[in-house]
Amino acid sequence: MAKRTAPRPSARPAPQPHRHGKGGCLPILRELSAFIDDELPEDICREIRRHLGDCPNCEEFVASLRQTVSLCRHTPAPTLSSADRARMREKILQSAGGR
Amino acid sequence: MMYRFANRLCGETEAAKDLVQETFLNAYRGFKNFRGDAQISTWLYTIASRACLRMRRRRKGAPERELSLDEFIPTSEGEFRLQIPVDGLSPEEALLNKELRQALDDAINQLPKKYRMVLVLRDMEGLSAKEVGTIMGLNERAVKSRLHRARLFVRRELSARGVTEPACDMDRLSLE
Repeated sequence: MAKRTAPRPSARPAPQPHRHGKGGCLPILRELSAFIDDELPEDICREIRRHLGDCPNCEEFVASLRQTVSLCRHTPAPTLSSADRARMREKILQSAGGR
Repeated sequence: MMYRFANRLCGETEAAKDLVQETFLNAYRGFKNFRGDAQISTWLYTIASRACLRMRRRRKGAPERELSLDEFIPTSEGEFRLQIPVDGLSPEEALLNKELRQALDDAINQLPKKYRMVLVLRDMEGLSAKEVGTIMGLNERAVKSRLHRARLFVRRELSARGVTEPACDMDRLSLE
């Protein structure tokens, strides 16, 4: 007798078209900066992590927001040449003395 | 420190120099009112932020617009991730890519000023939300709300523009 193979419980469901329903993704998208800054209570973080595990689009969105913040944080600082700095100091002292 | 902040806020060298000059002159004139209950850097950031808003009003640019969260919700598959080559690179390495640097600078410069100020102070200058609130006269909740919108704006601009150049800066590689 042929044995029917039951679907494996660990198999992931086929990805659904992503719709940001009010009950699912939208409230999470609103909290993502606080989430990546570790400012949320643990129970809300757990809920967000659970959602991200089920929602590949939101997971990609969080990754891209993290990358964006990381790039902003690591942007090299603009600098002034020492000649420019000296000129500016001179101008400021002149203006301060003239007032 | 002040030039770095001014340059990030103004996005151009000459305006940044003007802002530094204005900041130090205002600090000089107002020093007798500095009570010492904040760090001197916080006080200078506050003076610079106010001077920057005044300079903007004098230039009579387009009115500041509010950013709504809804405008940042992706609607199609390609909008969820950044179309930039950063996989496997540290942020410092990724930022050697001139096209990416330019895209990031452009995105930040397109932010309405009140959002840009929060992003620059919090994510680029590394201040806490509380310190940003003190400087801008906002409560922490308002700071976090503006910061989230600012980050979403920059994320969307990077995602929409994409970067096609290879991740490594060829000029730098050739020097090594």
